[in-house]
Amino acid sequence: MTKHVGYVPEMKRNWWLKNRYFMAYMAREATVLPLVFFIGCLLAGLYCLLQGQESWLTWLEFMQNPLTIAVNLLAFVASLFHAWTFFQLFPRVMPLRVGGRAIPAKWIILGQWCGVLLVMVLFAWIFGRGV
Amino acid sequence: MTTKRLSIQRYLPEQRKTPFRQEFDVPFDDSTSILEALNHIKEEIDGSLSYRWSCRMAICGSCGMMVNDEPKLGCKSFLREYPGTIKIEPLAHFPVQKDLIIDMEIFLEHLAAVQPYLINDSGESTETHRQTPAQLAKYLKFSDCINCGLCYSACPQFGLNPEFLGPAALTLAHRYNLDSRDQGKQQRMPQLNREEGVWTCTFVGYCSEVCPKSVDPAAAVNQGKVESAKDLLISLFKR
Repeated sequence: MTKHVGYVPEMKRNWWLKNRYFMAYMAREATVLPLVFFIGCLLAGLYCLLQGQESWLTWLEFMQNPLTIAVNLLAFVASLFHAWTFFQLFPRVMPLRVGGRAIPAKWIILGQWCGVLLVMVLFAWIFGRGV
Repeated sequence: MTTKRLSIQRYLPEQRKTPFRQEFDVPFDDSTSILEALNHIKEEIDGSLSYRWSCRMAICGSCGMMVNDEPKLGCKSFLREYPGTIKIEPLAHFPVQKDLIIDMEIFLEHLAAVQPYLINDSGESTETHRQTPAQLAKYLKFSDCINCGLCYSACPQFGLNPEFLGPAALTLAHRYNLDSRDQGKQQRMPQLNREEGVWTCTFVGYCSEVCPKSVDPAAAVNQGKVESAKDLLISLFKR
């Protein structure tokens, strides 16, 4: 790389507070934080299940804690927000064509939301049967 | 005629080691561009003000600068669009040589690295390359880049790591890879595949917002990731 002569501006740590695009980007990236908590809950549940009944009941109690429910609700909203941003970006990364003609981005986005709905219906059917 | 105040970042290395701000009041009407305001300052107020410009019609890409913290072409931005004092600085993420003049050497190095031109050794050199409208449509929207560097100032990844090839170079690489007349994809892929290639991009997307020619570099760079992944898979099977 060429050595530069002159003043080199410094990029400060709060660069992402400079405009709304950077803040929206950081919000998208930050959705991972509550999702990590949700995955932690799932893994702890599996571990407690292996440990026996007492451990499992403790986990159930932890999951019914209002704070746990609140963070998991936040994780759900964060995952929907991330999906929304991801679905908007997807047609730009994978511009699909059928018979040489480009599929409009809004159709691709609609298709992805239909997929989400399908998965939710499938989950409701699988886990709702025993209730 | 009313006046508008411009707060311009000055950097005069022969006088001071660090930049400072200087304010100028310039007369303007609805048709006055930022570039014209700078020309007025240079001609009428302070001849030492330094900046680049050439065509005045948003095609040469010379007059890139930060206007109120946004990368803009001076000739395509107008004083009427900004209420209050207008803050003008050199393009972000580049070393500053003097006032609004940046050192674009690293940008040019990245551009050269991806070989942004048709590579085609087949056929006679005088033969016309034929291309259908459908083949043209594949790369057309990525071919309007004017090398102004605005996307580099909008890219925090380039700001954090200047070794990142960056939006314009990767867009041009993708544009030529998509061209049916080109055969240079295998020569460009090692550049796209390396760590400072497409994979450094985290799809902030601001590069596409600031592009004065609506090229959408964010889309091109991320399509480059798909191509890079395909290239890796194909190379695994070729072994």
